Amino acid sequence: MGRPIRIMAGVTWPSLVWLDLLSSHLRGFHMLDRQSQDLAAFDHQLISRTANGDRRAFEQIVSRHATAVFRLAKVVTGDAAAAEDVMQKTFLAAYRSASTCGSDASVRTWLLAIARNTAQQLQAKQGREVPAEEPLLNLGLDAGWGSGDPETIAIAAAHKDNLDKALSTLCAEDQEVLILRDMEGLRGSEAAEVVGLGEQAFNTRLHRARLRLAGALRGAPPLDGVVQEGGA
Amino acid sequence: MQDRLIGGVRCSEVLAHLSDYVDADLDAATTERVENHLLGCPNCEHFGKNFGSMVASLRNESNTPEAIQADAISRMLSQIYQLGADS
Repeated sequence: MGRPIRIMAGVTWPSLVWLDLLSSHLRGFHMLDRQSQDLAAFDHQLISRTANGDRRAFEQIVSRHATAVFRLAKVVTGDAAAAEDVMQKTFLAAYRSASTCGSDASVRTWLLAIARNTAQQLQAKQGREVPAEEPLLNLGLDAGWGSGDPETIAIAAAHKDNLDKALSTLCAEDQEVLILRDMEGLRGSEAAEVVGLGEQAFNTRLHRARLRLAGALRGAPPLDGVVQEGGA
Repeated sequence: MQDRLIGGVRCSEVLAHLSDYVDADLDAATTERVENHLLGCPNCEHFGKNFGSMVASLRNESNTPEAIQADAISRMLSQIYQLGADS
């Protein structure tokens, strides 16, 4: 794992303050990871009680994870009504087979894996859209790497509507890795398990998806009222 | 974009490592090499900063719940209990 970000002793690098800020943000994210470990233990208690017929425990499971299941199902199926169907099938499967949820995987990972499989079965006849294997350098250039305006992606991403629109332009494969790792906060190993990839392959897909998202943000017209840095 | 060798790493390698760097998934030696490059390469530093901000925004987006109707959840639970009892 990476060591804490540091500024080289005796040298002032004001432009790299972002490294510390970003590091602080990520430490916060990893702290959330640790908090989520406690919540994951609670999830296992709930699923164990569900296996013993405790409906209130099951309803808590639904309440805690319905959004994540629905969000992933909607991306894979591309349709809100189909996503509701997937959500019901997922939680029905979880209700019926709560006793089979192993203690190794988190309940959320288990549910998301069921949801993804269920959604893919629905989509099987239509096939899956697989993003073309563009060279990484091209993805970087589209994202603004080496350009004079990479701040465009950060400015655009700070606005929810822009981010939602850019996300919606990505293929399902890209959206699901971004949802699992960045939005739902699964660890790399957990997210990789949900999509059935090794962790390294998952990380490669995630990086490409993030670059494509940056490219989509960069190419999107600014929203009304959003003023570019240095603009009027 | 010139693929410059700075801090023992090329710009193209930093681009390839950027997500792993943001996620703190790099080993210590690679992290140090990437940072040394960023310290001496304004292009990569500028892009990395904004790429990292984009990832942070995406993570904040997770706080936005999907619009699932409360009655859809109630309906789903009723059906699950009925179907579950039938199994």
